[in-house]
Amino acid sequence: MPIGEIGAFLLFLVIVFIFGNLWFHFMEAILRRMKALFTRHKKTSAWHTLPPDKSG
Amino acid sequence: MGFFSKLFKGPEIDMEKSNANAKKMRALFNQVVEEGDKYRLIFGYTEDVGRFNYGFVHGSKTRIGNLIVGWNEAGQTIVVVPTVPDLSGCGDPAYYRRSEIFKAYRNKYPTDAFIIYPDKKGYIGINAYDWLEDEKLYVYVSQDDELAAFTDFFINRFATK
Repeated sequence: MPIGEIGAFLLFLVIVFIFGNLWFHFMEAILRRMKALFTRHKKTSAWHTLPPDKSG
Repeated sequence: MGFFSKLFKGPEIDMEKSNANAKKMRALFNQVVEEGDKYRLIFGYTEDVGRFNYGFVHGSKTRIGNLIVGWNEAGQTIVVVPTVPDLSGCGDPAYYRRSEIFKAYRNKYPTDAFIIYPDKKGYIGINAYDWLEDEKLYVYVSQDDELAAFTDFFINRFATK
């Protein structure tokens, strides 16, 4: 197989990888938005921060 | 010490950092749990593995939840407090009293997690190790003795089967 064809195939794999990543983050963002929309009235759980004298 | 013996020795635990984190764990725990000093503490974590399928992209995601786990031998109670790897804060405690839970056992496969069912509907799986190096994901603390004591307590006095 000539070098050019191997290069083209690798480039194709890189494009598939990048597009797959973009698609994943796009879908995640949509689902996060939808989840936030449905859970915005839900009471958030309490969070207690570490006392300042112990943070050192 | 020679170069190769140092190379093959593996990672060394920073005990200063570990002790500082153990103190922070205690401070956080005592802040949210009444009579916190009556509990011994270890660090544990939960693993939530979820599968996704977004058309041609599919796989699995693992979400790690850090926990401060306290146990009281006399009261046969385990208290779980959610926290973050840098121990900057913690959530509200969840109490698991042996007399009130549905069942508890040590898992064998795929992980040796400590499983507690507060009722028939849900469960918590607590994973615990003597030391985990990845500070971005887990609390940096060395806990050989405490883990051995917790394992003994859980298997011999807390587990229901």
